[in-house]
Amino acid sequence: MVSPLVLIAAPLAGAFLLGLVRCPRAALAVTLATLGLAAAAAGWWVWQLGWAGAEAVEVFTAGTPPPFAIALRMGLPEAALTLVITLTGLLSALHMQDNLAETGHRAMAVLLVAVMAYCGIVLTRDLFNLFVFFELAAIATAGLILLSADARALGAGFKYLVVSQVISALLLIGIIFTYHATGTLYLDGIAAAAAKPALAFFLVFIAIAAELKPFPANGWALDVYESSHPAFSALISAAAGAASLYAADKLLTVGGPAWLPAATAIGIVTFVAGNLLALPQGNDRRLLGYSSVAQIGLVLAVAGQRDVLGEHYHFVAFGLLASHAVAKAGLFWLSGMVAERGLAAWAALRARPPLIFAFATFVAMLAGLPPFPGFYAKWELVRVLAAEGRLVLLGLILFGALLEAGYLFRWFGFALKREPSGEGLACAPSKGIPVLAAVLAAWGLAWQWGDASAQANLLLGLPLLFALAFVLLDWLPAWVKNTLAIAGLAAWFALTLGQYDPLRLIFAVIMLAGGAVTLLASYHAHGRRIGFYPSAMLMYAGLAQLILAADTFSFFAAWEILTVGSYFLILRGRHSEPHALSYIVFSLGGAFLILAGFAVAADGAASFAVADLATLAAPVAPWVFLMLAIGFMTKTASIGLHVWLPGAHAEAETDVSPMVSGILLKAGLFGLAVLLLAMGRQKLGGIDLTLAMLWIGAASALLGNLMAIFQEDAKRLLAYSSIGQMGYALFGLAMMNHLGWLMALMFVINHYIYKSMLFLAVGGVAKRTGTRDMYRMGGLINLMPLSFISVLVGIIAMSGVPPLSGFGGRWIFYNALLTAESRLPMILIFFSGPIAFLYLFRLIHTIFLGQLKDEHRRVKEAPFWLMVPQMIYVVLLIAFALVPGVALRQVDGHLGGLLPAGGLSWDGLTITSDFGYWNPVAIMVIVGIIFTTLFLWLVFVNRRAQKVKQFNIVFAAERPFRPETTHFAWNFFAPYRKALGFLVQPVATGFWNGISGGLHAGADFTRRLYTGNAQTYAVHLLVFVVAVHLFMTGM
Amino acid sequence: MAHIALATGFLLFLIGLYGALTNRNLLRMIVAFTVADAGINVVIVAVGHMRGRTAPILDGAVPAAEAASRIIDPVPQALVLTAIVIGVGITALMLAYAYKLYEARRSLDIGKFMELKW
Repeated sequence: MVSPLVLIAAPLAGAFLLGLVRCPRAALAVTLATLGLAAAAAGWWVWQLGWAGAEAVEVFTAGTPPPFAIALRMGLPEAALTLVITLTGLLSALHMQDNLAETGHRAMAVLLVAVMAYCGIVLTRDLFNLFVFFELAAIATAGLILLSADARALGAGFKYLVVSQVISALLLIGIIFTYHATGTLYLDGIAAAAAKPALAFFLVFIAIAAELKPFPANGWALDVYESSHPAFSALISAAAGAASLYAADKLLTVGGPAWLPAATAIGIVTFVAGNLLALPQGNDRRLLGYSSVAQIGLVLAVAGQRDVLGEHYHFVAFGLLASHAVAKAGLFWLSGMVAERGLAAWAALRARPPLIFAFATFVAMLAGLPPFPGFYAKWELVRVLAAEGRLVLLGLILFGALLEAGYLFRWFGFALKREPSGEGLACAPSKGIPVLAAVLAAWGLAWQWGDASAQANLLLGLPLLFALAFVLLDWLPAWVKNTLAIAGLAAWFALTLGQYDPLRLIFAVIMLAGGAVTLLASYHAHGRRIGFYPSAMLMYAGLAQLILAADTFSFFAAWEILTVGSYFLILRGRHSEPHALSYIVFSLGGAFLILAGFAVAADGAASFAVADLATLAAPVAPWVFLMLAIGFMTKTASIGLHVWLPGAHAEAETDVSPMVSGILLKAGLFGLAVLLLAMGRQKLGGIDLTLAMLWIGAASALLGNLMAIFQEDAKRLLAYSSIGQMGYALFGLAMMNHLGWLMALMFVINHYIYKSMLFLAVGGVAKRTGTRDMYRMGGLINLMPLSFISVLVGIIAMSGVPPLSGFGGRWIFYNALLTAESRLPMILIFFSGPIAFLYLFRLIHTIFLGQLKDEHRRVKEAPFWLMVPQMIYVVLLIAFALVPGVALRQVDGHLGGLLPAGGLSWDGLTITSDFGYWNPVAIMVIVGIIFTTLFLWLVFVNRRAQKVKQFNIVFAAERPFRPETTHFAWNFFAPYRKALGFLVQPVATGFWNGISGGLHAGADFTRRLYTGNAQTYAVHLLVFVVAVHLFMTGM
Repeated sequence: MAHIALATGFLLFLIGLYGALTNRNLLRMIVAFTVADAGINVVIVAVGHMRGRTAPILDGAVPAAEAASRIIDPVPQALVLTAIVIGVGITALMLAYAYKLYEARRSLDIGKFMELKW
């Protein structure tokens, strides 16, 4: 039995002992041993209370019960928090051991006192004792700020002291009048008191709230975060933040429900403002400061929702708090390793891949992504808030979280893509160990929260574990990992084959089997290819789990997993930093809409099956439909939400483009298919939402194709074409009839095959020629014949002319159109067909035909492993063209059960609809005969033709300054641009840029509030106090 | 009597606070804060005062049995002692900071230490 008093006594004893030790190393050993002892004691209590079934205890300091003595309580929350505090203290001491040893034993004693004070704040049940511990913490903080090498810390420390003077004055006045009214300082006694003095308690409450650094009374905290030693900032952010939050929580328990709205309001305003103001920050530590402030605000807002969270309160609050504490401490420690303060300076981490993994872990943890505790907590929180109808709060939380994800991932992109500067990294073991410990804690907590969650533990999911295993296997050569990855995908597909209905089977074949085929191309990579396989397999894990997900929780978890995996994958491209960022921001925005939609649909139920969406009725149903549909349409890049796609797909690595285009886009279609199947037609305010989707699909098809024809960059052209293709599929699904769905699924299959093939072929060409601009290429047909064949086959298939499978798609499509009710979108979609010809034609015409460029004379065929999947696709396309029934017949039958009217009849090789019939084999034969005849005739008439070498003609004059302007393939469709250019003005891009620019400008303006003057900060605090008081007295 | 003390205490507190927020000189700010602290201490003592009772010292004059009805409440006095000690600590720390700041900048103007902002 360890007394909780050890947590107070041990640091004090250690601090006294330090006075006797002269040698700095010995003093350091004493400090670390003391903190280790305290951490062990806290850990022992966590074990006893959490697992061994012990009861919470109260310790009376003088052996008499309150109010005559001070009581300390040790329950599970206290044990967990003191563990966080002591461990952070221990690791921070380790991290800054050099500074401590340099400053001497006095600094160490102050550190021990700080840790003791934080523990005391958590443990004590006495109001005045709380004040004493807060003051001790303030004095210790002001001392430890001076450990920093930054000269500006001096000013920050003084600002801190000024503000804490004002806070402690408020606290003291509040305490004495509370005592006067209730006759006790024991918190439970105050809670039980008949008459609670509102104003006095308000002062106590507001003083504790001010310790939480609420907006706008937090300028001092940001200055402290920016200038302190990062290990100490870690301590303030994680330990002091946790302790102050718990103090606020105790006060809320004492005060009762009347105080909850104020806590919520302070918390949510701080959360949104902190994240908003973090946007324009360029200093890593100040950014972390803003983020800390915001996270603590979020937990305070959750504390204000304890009345509705009920039994889930601790799960949610501690999930968010643990995520904050571990990730923020880890990031501050990492910041201590990075030499320079700019965000881009974190590129230095690339020298050590494990540190990048640590950075990714912390960012994901802070952003509340699976499988970390914040994810489970967010799910529960949103579920409860939606059920209680607190939608404004819900929206603000998700908005703030999106802002936070935005700047965190932007920063992560800097670290991965920017050039590292000369200064580099400080990589001593004492600095690495705390970071490693934080990473281990992050994953341990992820397990713990999954285990405690009412939902499934995500870390038990085999696909996710498989993906994470690649983190540990990253030292293997790329080809070994590639083989493992392919084997894993194939094995999982074989393992789960029996679980898919025909509709899901199509997606499973594309995502799993198709994923394995696409991975064949990755054999071309040499070396170890660090980071590729964990990311790719994370995406596949998400996809694999998505199509098997039965309830909304696993569906959403899978959705976020695949989003994160694909983000890391896209980010690997050389110039993809801004595009990966816009991808993740749009995707997370969409994901939050999906989360909100699911939460509103569940209406408080702990578990909600996806299929039960069908049971929803108006007025909820259309809103759920709207949120989910927009969420899924961010993934299919429907027009308006498409701005992330071109860059993300075009700048991705050669073998990544087919994955994120051919495979990943199908996740959005899968979501839409599931949604439409369950909810069907919904009307909102007289508007038929499926009709709106029909229009969006048609517009995406038209504008996507139109934008594609004006591209010079071949991969961008293909990317824009995906927008158009997804538009077709969306259109088909939104038709909500049998043929429309069949057409959409045909597009799903076809798009996977030909877009993967074309991306690989064009990627291979770009790899060999060193450019993606089509006008810089030409005449490659002889040098790269296999690539030529796959592009040729690809564009024949894609343009929908006979005999390849694209024609089948068109045939079903035209049949479907004839049954559609809406004429105008139908016309649009008809128009977009020919437009597709225009850009597809350029791929053959400009790349493979025409004049060979001088610098490409020695170009070889694309690498072998890039060709292998392409040739497989060629075979697949021809096979699918000959016998489409193999795949479609099952689906047709399955759809017949869901959307009965207007199926096809499959009779031998002939497929018959209401409007005609289609015999793929006959068409193939006829086209073959025509082609052969024409070909032979051409050979015959050209038998006398004279072959002309390229240099038979003479190049005249000199090379012009901008060679592309004289190239015939440059701005190839200029006349069309003149006529239709107004349609492809970057309106959506401008709109989203405007929003982002507005947020940044607003944040940049607002942050000038923090003038840097201590007195201004004190005035902010007073204004804050008055504002909260007005809010509470019913403004 | 208690009301006068209470009013004096609050007045001192407000004077101190006003002084701390309007004086730009670090030392004047610190002095102003000590005035405010003193005001709060007066308030605490005033709140604990009970008319017609004696000091909370249990000796021959006040037997333990009658203590509850004859002494004033000792808790606020204990609190004020603690608050004074803490106040001294914080004041000392602020003075040390002021000294260091003066060493660094040769100035005691609070407006000179605004390089950390936004």
